[in-house]
Amino acid sequence: MYRRKRKILSGDNMKKIKKKDIGKLLSKWQADFTVFTPSRATGVARMEEWDGKDTDFLTWYRNTVIPPKNNILPNMEAMFRFQKDEAGYQLEPVTPEQKQIIFGIRPCDARALTIIDMVFKDTYEDRYYLTRRQNTVLVGLGCTNPYESCFCTSLGIHPAQSADVDLMLTDIGNELLIEEITDKGKELLGKSSGLTDASSNDEDSAKQSRETAYQKVTRKLDTTGIADKLQASFEDKDFWEKVAAKCITCGICTFLCPTCYCFDINDEISKGSGARFRNWDSCSFSLYTKMPAENPREEKWQRVRQKVCHKYEFYPRLFDTIACTGCGRCIRFCPVNWDITQTLESVPEHSAV
Amino acid sequence: MAITDISNRKKFPANGNVYLPNIAVIEKIIEETADTRTFHFNFKDEKLREQFTFESGQFGEYSVFGVGEATFCISSSPTRRDHLECCVKRVGRVTNAMHRLGVGAEIGVRGPYGNSFPLDYLKGKNLVFVAGGIGLAPLRSLIWNVLDNRNDYGNIDIIYGARTPGDLCFTYDLDAWEKDSSVKMTTTIDREHEGWSGRVGFVPQVLEQAAPSAKNAAAIVCGPPVMIRFTFPVLEKLGFTPEQMITTLEKRMKCGIGKCGRCNIGDLYVCRDGPVFSFAQIKDFISSEY
Repeated sequence: MYRRKRKILSGDNMKKIKKKDIGKLLSKWQADFTVFTPSRATGVARMEEWDGKDTDFLTWYRNTVIPPKNNILPNMEAMFRFQKDEAGYQLEPVTPEQKQIIFGIRPCDARALTIIDMVFKDTYEDRYYLTRRQNTVLVGLGCTNPYESCFCTSLGIHPAQSADVDLMLTDIGNELLIEEITDKGKELLGKSSGLTDASSNDEDSAKQSRETAYQKVTRKLDTTGIADKLQASFEDKDFWEKVAAKCITCGICTFLCPTCYCFDINDEISKGSGARFRNWDSCSFSLYTKMPAENPREEKWQRVRQKVCHKYEFYPRLFDTIACTGCGRCIRFCPVNWDITQTLESVPEHSAV
Repeated sequence: MAITDISNRKKFPANGNVYLPNIAVIEKIIEETADTRTFHFNFKDEKLREQFTFESGQFGEYSVFGVGEATFCISSSPTRRDHLECCVKRVGRVTNAMHRLGVGAEIGVRGPYGNSFPLDYLKGKNLVFVAGGIGLAPLRSLIWNVLDNRNDYGNIDIIYGARTPGDLCFTYDLDAWEKDSSVKMTTTIDREHEGWSGRVGFVPQVLEQAAPSAKNAAAIVCGPPVMIRFTFPVLEKLGFTPEQMITTLEKRMKCGIGKCGRCNIGDLYVCRDGPVFSFAQIKDFISSEY
């Protein structure tokens, strides 16, 4: 299982802020950063650039529909531009330089970034992802009202506690308690105003608030030995066909998954100059693996199998962690109510290969 | 043969943005078949031209700017450094665009990526090369590599087949190997064809008839998946162990460096852990996802 790498700093540094002062704090941060907060402005809850006034999200926000991976690995990004002149092609790389704060990221989504960091750091460093990651400060906000579809606690994640963020906020009624988690968080606190010292009473209510949130995550999944079970069931076509029967391969579970990182690379061109883009792709589509003569995942059940096994078998073998955070989006937003926890619970017992 | 660790491989450009292609210029185009061409190219940057190294079996990501990228192996041998070569069959958007390019046109090249044929393992052994169609492209890099260091290896058998005489690639190489007395060259086509007086039969059958010994040998196989599927059982019959059978796999790829996700077979990524595998490494997947 995933092991914590960062140490949570001691409680001596606890601060707090009144909810009504959050706007002021975000404004202050805007001087040095582009600040993203939960927003429903586009009609779909996602992390959007803060408009400078609206802090209503403190009341409506449970989690975003579009995960904050979109702010690190955007659904479409230019990698470089190219132009042709007499001397030939000139390439101009696009470097993501914006310093950003993601305010209100949930512990599940923060862990998701820690998980996919491993891919983007592996062997060949991915400059686009890693630069954006480096330029981002994560301000976590503990859940108070998880969804029925949430099962983060089964993946070793606490809905209101996180070592994957830089600052962690806990709702204690009219105020938010602020914990420093990393040096990056500490630095951001140094640039903050309107904070007061938290008392031991505040810390007690934060503890209470966290405990309540934890208890509210009622959906459970037993992941013991899941990688081996999946490996043993890999060739069980009947099982996978049954599991995939109702899937309409729309891909929404992968696009909205905070740990799905697959992408496509494409060019756009007009009048001699153009750009190379990368955009999210999905193993739900048969085109994803289609080759001129063959397709290793032509059938729907093969693609559903790939999705499940990638998260619960292959990724753990490669990086020692399950690539799922139990955020529940693939359950909440599936148009045909496909449920990954049901699938995982119904993996048949086969003798090990 | 263990999976090669590529983490310490040289990267071009060093410490740079891996997605940024290097500009290369097409110097020569050879019409191999009606739909397949070999491109000879060199990097525009002279320094890179000198520094660039690769090993037989590695591949690159090739750009036609404005159209996109596609994956091809480097089909020339690292022992011949005058230029680089790739062999491209016209099958999709990028490969069609590539075929529209002429000598002097610029393309983008990223790489080299992936592992390579295990030369240390192959040295001192009798080598059996089995290829079909454009599958000769990656093996050709290794064959020339081996022939340029002929004393390091034992007997060399090459069995190469295509559907029709017109589908045979690298006929100039086939001629050269035919003439080379240190090579046993067998060329075959799938069915009788007017004007063809050579051998007829599918590659696996011809291999079975040729019956090369498995003793102190290694078989290196590349071709269409259906050929590979039928070739492994024949090799097994001839006494080759899964360890002695080596192949290079083809999958749809985008990044070439283990990130974009699509080329996996289980927890192996063909781009990062391959494309060269021993049959021992992939035999569990042959039936299902390969």
